[in-house]
Amino acid sequence: MRLAFLLQDLQLSGGVGVVVQHARALATTHGHDVTLVLTHAQEQEPWEFEGLAHLHVEGLAEARAQHFDIAISTWWETTFSLFELQADRYASFVQSLEDRFYSYGAPERNLSALTQGLPVAVITEARWIVDTLAQLRPQTPVRFVRNGIDKDVFASPRTLDVRRDGPLRIVVEGNPDVWFKGVREAVRAVGHMTEPRHLTVVTGAPSTFESSVPDAVVGPLSQRELARLYADSDVVLKHSRVEGMYGPPLEGFHMGATVVTTPVTGHEEYVEHGWNGLVVDWDDERGTARQLDLLARDRRLLHFLRTNALATARSWPSWEQAGTFMAAALAAIQRAPAPVADGARQLLADARVELELHRGHILERDTLRRYARVAALVRRLPGAQRLLGARRHPLARRLLRPLRPLARRVLR
Amino acid sequence: MPDWQERITRETAPAIRVEHELRYAAAAPLVHASAAWADLGCGTGLAAAAGLGTPYAGTALLVDADEAAVEQACALVAAQTVAPLVADLTDSADLKRVRTQLLAAAPEGRRCVTCFEVIEHLATFAPLVELLVELAEQDDTSVVASVPNDAFWALENPHHMTAWGEGAVEELRSLLPADHVLAQQVALQGSALARGDDEREEVASVRIAGGVPTHYLLAFGPDAAMLATAPRVAQADLAEQRRWERQRESDLAYAEARIRELEASSSPAAPATDDGGDPT
Repeated sequence: MRLAFLLQDLQLSGGVGVVVQHARALATTHGHDVTLVLTHAQEQEPWEFEGLAHLHVEGLAEARAQHFDIAISTWWETTFSLFELQADRYASFVQSLEDRFYSYGAPERNLSALTQGLPVAVITEARWIVDTLAQLRPQTPVRFVRNGIDKDVFASPRTLDVRRDGPLRIVVEGNPDVWFKGVREAVRAVGHMTEPRHLTVVTGAPSTFESSVPDAVVGPLSQRELARLYADSDVVLKHSRVEGMYGPPLEGFHMGATVVTTPVTGHEEYVEHGWNGLVVDWDDERGTARQLDLLARDRRLLHFLRTNALATARSWPSWEQAGTFMAAALAAIQRAPAPVADGARQLLADARVELELHRGHILERDTLRRYARVAALVRRLPGAQRLLGARRHPLARRLLRPLRPLARRVLR
Repeated sequence: MPDWQERITRETAPAIRVEHELRYAAAAPLVHASAAWADLGCGTGLAAAAGLGTPYAGTALLVDADEAAVEQACALVAAQTVAPLVADLTDSADLKRVRTQLLAAAPEGRRCVTCFEVIEHLATFAPLVELLVELAEQDDTSVVASVPNDAFWALENPHHMTAWGEGAVEELRSLLPADHVLAQQVALQGSALARGDDEREEVASVRIAGGVPTHYLLAFGPDAAMLATAPRVAQADLAEQRRWERQRESDLAYAEARIRELEASSSPAAPATDDGGDPT
């Protein structure tokens, strides 16, 4: 099969890494011809993902000239370019319900939700997404393909070392500036601990992270470096609010680390409270600290959780197995009749225009809000009300007219 | 000690034999309702012969990668016509042969395919799953397949190429026709009283509730709803089981000693010690 996966870029991110892994398995194990189509102009050098050598990487302009058996969007904004490609079938690889990444009122929120209703075949990596889409789109079959784990990189130890003493070694990973990753909350929770601990924060931008709590702030790390860090750690701490398949704790499991996590979407697939990890409440930093203190004190419990975390990892599929399910899902999509997609391309073009207009309105609103703040300050100045009343006098209006452009500029 | 025996033979532990027989017994109504039946990964045919009960009145296509196993199965499975087929179920050309022979065996009538404990042994199962779904959707064929629940015990079976459990089954289900039937095979334990050496038939009642399955059975196609769910119980032959386990333990100890001997003799600088360790 000739397959096209649409990506915005090839920068380091979990979602892009997943697509590259699937694409590599489809090309190397299943003999498909796979192209990664980059929908945006690339301003940075791509991250050196392993496996890119087996794939074609093209821009949208080159890809438009070709014909594919299946074209697959991998992020809601890439759906705008999906129907620009010539393909027998169109599909979406849904890695999260992406409207949740945006705050209320953000123009992207409604539009990303709208793309979930496109007349395309759907593959997703998490069961909670399968269940949600089944309710939203009961007529559309959703193929379920879990992400694999690179078992060579996250190579599990044969036996687990018992760690009876030393500080509890904790890892928090994620971008601190992305609100739903909860990195700052996790770090604050560690700050509330009373038992000895060692905290490492892994982030792509360590220079921008300021907190006195972590003992080390590192990153960006390659997958192999991350695996080594997990192997030296006892606990992966996650305070995420939105996750798709929720890979990082599972990578930690492979290296013998347990997890303390919020009940974020995706955790239910493999985290079992009291068995292979601990699940803590939302917005409960002190409660999280108490759970971490418990693990620091009760090394028997820590070893029990780490043992079961490692066992959970052993039964998780490799990328080779995940690639086989992806190959089977794509074969099923090719075999099934194509959904009627007439008008989808136009719909997306209209929606994109609407998005840009909406963004313009938001920008205008924010500008006006600044004006309003300045005006409110001016009104509170002594004598301002009298002065504002006086400006309505015809003579004052004539005298002030030449100053209006200057006033606008100052307010801006 | 884990049991990695993957072929069912007369020496296989009774509990495992019963597990295999039950799957064939579950599929028996579908098989007997078909004019042609293909057993993919038939092995020695022992479980099929025991599980199907009465002789099969149609054409049985017995498929396995191991020629000797297929020959044995042909001798054991009682059917009006038995057709052997040695095939690699990861190979598209071989899968095409399976399909062609099955359709030719019953051009008009219903067909059935059983595929028990096969998928996890394949390096790639995508072509096989595609064939099974095509047969069910286009060729009036019912399919009954099974996969193990290795994930529960985190078993790393050296013979299994892929890891199966509840999550993987959900992935597989998302590829099957929407009206497929899922059954969970659960383990039973029990005991009985014998008086003297008289052989007698006893009927026991057992309450089956949800629980951790040992295996998952999936049926799809026109007769999927006919999947039987009656349990199957056999008396454990403890004498045979003890003999088999002790044989394995002693074989293992013997093989380990032999390896130590060979390692010592192949290392010119280090004379062998009793425990095979470093002589210093």
